[in-house]
Amino acid sequence: MKPQTTNKKIQRYLALTSLCAGILAAMPSAHAANWIMLQGTEPAETAPRAEVWGFIQPTYSKDFSNAFAGKYVPPKLVGPSLDSQSSFNILRARIGVRGTGFPLDSHINYFILTEFGNNALTNGGAYGSYKPELTDASVTLNYIPGARIRLGLFKYPGAEEGLQGINLSPYVNFTDVTNQMLQERFPTKGQGNIAPQATPNANMNAYSQPSSGFRDVGAQVFDAFDVGNWEHTYAVMLGNGNGVNMTDTNNSKDLYLYWSSAYLFDKNAKGAFQPSLKMFTWYQGGKRNDVWNTTQEQDRKRYGAGIAYLKMPFRVTAEYMWGKGMIFQGAQNPGNGTTTAASIFNDNKASGGYLEGGWYIPNSKWELDLRYDTYKRNTGIMSGPTPEAKFRTWTTGVNYHFNKKTRVTLDYAFRKDSATTTAVNNQLKDVKGLVTLQVTAAF
Amino acid sequence: MIHLSRITPIALLLAAALTASGLAQANENAESVTQILQEKPFAQTRVALQISDGSAEKQDLVLNVAHNLLKFYGQDKIDIEVVAFGPGLRLLFKDNANSQRIDELAAAGVRFSACDNTIAAMAKQLGHPPELNPIAHIVPAGIVRMVELNKAGFFVARP
Repeated sequence: MKPQTTNKKIQRYLALTSLCAGILAAMPSAHAANWIMLQGTEPAETAPRAEVWGFIQPTYSKDFSNAFAGKYVPPKLVGPSLDSQSSFNILRARIGVRGTGFPLDSHINYFILTEFGNNALTNGGAYGSYKPELTDASVTLNYIPGARIRLGLFKYPGAEEGLQGINLSPYVNFTDVTNQMLQERFPTKGQGNIAPQATPNANMNAYSQPSSGFRDVGAQVFDAFDVGNWEHTYAVMLGNGNGVNMTDTNNSKDLYLYWSSAYLFDKNAKGAFQPSLKMFTWYQGGKRNDVWNTTQEQDRKRYGAGIAYLKMPFRVTAEYMWGKGMIFQGAQNPGNGTTTAASIFNDNKASGGYLEGGWYIPNSKWELDLRYDTYKRNTGIMSGPTPEAKFRTWTTGVNYHFNKKTRVTLDYAFRKDSATTTAVNNQLKDVKGLVTLQVTAAF
Repeated sequence: MIHLSRITPIALLLAAALTASGLAQANENAESVTQILQEKPFAQTRVALQISDGSAEKQDLVLNVAHNLLKFYGQDKIDIEVVAFGPGLRLLFKDNANSQRIDELAAAGVRFSACDNTIAAMAKQLGHPPELNPIAHIVPAGIVRMVELNKAGFFVARP
């Protein structure tokens, strides 16, 4: 290549790069909120040094499933302990602090949150495994236009149910696809599988470590941009791939990618109930080591796409996602307690999704909700101890909003589970309705 | 024919101008109280609003009050000035989340004054003067501005 041609190419590249950099810097970062921005940033020049906040969710659950041959499996029991079919519980009790630290400089904000409730984050299930958890501890640096940097422990950018503020979820329980395919559990070497138990006092949860809580420790680059009435958001994160556990267990890092484009019906509205039509897609990929044989690595991939519409008085959300590797086989199946691979350490496939809608009845404090979710795990495996299984649920729900911070939720889930082998299908076919009543009080 | 070699420096200058726009824009000094009285001779009501608290609630409140005054009296019949000093100067920081509302109120004739004493004090803490919303005008001392406006007949309120 002639030097003159090379010089012209370099000049053209520099010209375009500098022009793009200028345009990027001039494009206003979006102030309209979304989950990525709501949880990672503070309103510029208005946030306090330290704002205490949190919420409590006392919950009652009753499972109407029947035993099979006098024995129970986890879908028929109330979590996280999986000891009985009905229970009161403090499902979540979180308290945290967020703010700017130094109010004169809004370029830095922080977020810290702890969990004292009894759920998969704080109680793996095995007796004696409850302990409060630090669920979030992050610092966001807002110095580079278009590229905010968040560091620490926080929710990774991904599926809507996991990413949203859980105190604002219209339903008490996650969908099966979110609970099984996305909410990662971490087995401990030596914990074996538990066979169906004869009584509800079963202690069927064989995990003792906190679940991921849709969180990871790592670094994320993100921002949102307004283009007319559109708000485009991106996030790229590298994390340990070890949930709320502080350190990594291997040398590989998980990669998280996220993009959303939302049409804002009211650009001046802010907060979690900003009316918009949002389309989003996400990906996460990483590697896990078998706890029974740490030299063995398994890829874990998840990806999905969805759409979320909110314009009072209606809300509609739909999402579908796929997974490959490390497919959860149930709380009673972390592994087999020997030197062979854990049940959860697999290369199986799974997929699922949901469609839900809500109607905020005008001039009242009532909200009606309806959701259908479906999940198929171990796709294509027609025999063996962990065959293809399907989980289909209709959830009907009602919320009564005492005020904008406190509500009561009543859900009834009509469940139909099945599997391709008789042995597993026998355990799932008698899974019946589940009623849950929950108060959410935020402060 | 446009040569790329001539475009490069132009593109760099354009990028620099775009990037720098708003960043180093100097804020003008506020007009004297005497001058502003002459600017709106038909204003039947004059109100000075103080903000000296940096909280989000106080910022919202002072903007809401300004909006409500405009709505009731009409922008041609009322003269409003918001004076920010102490922690309240955060309202007039360039990247404030309320910037759009502030710009809309400014377009409707509301004046926003920033205390130079507070700017100096904050500059010591920050290591540089804070960047202000371009619509903010500088007054030597916020509390003095409030006193002078009061003496000129402004109704003084601290929402």
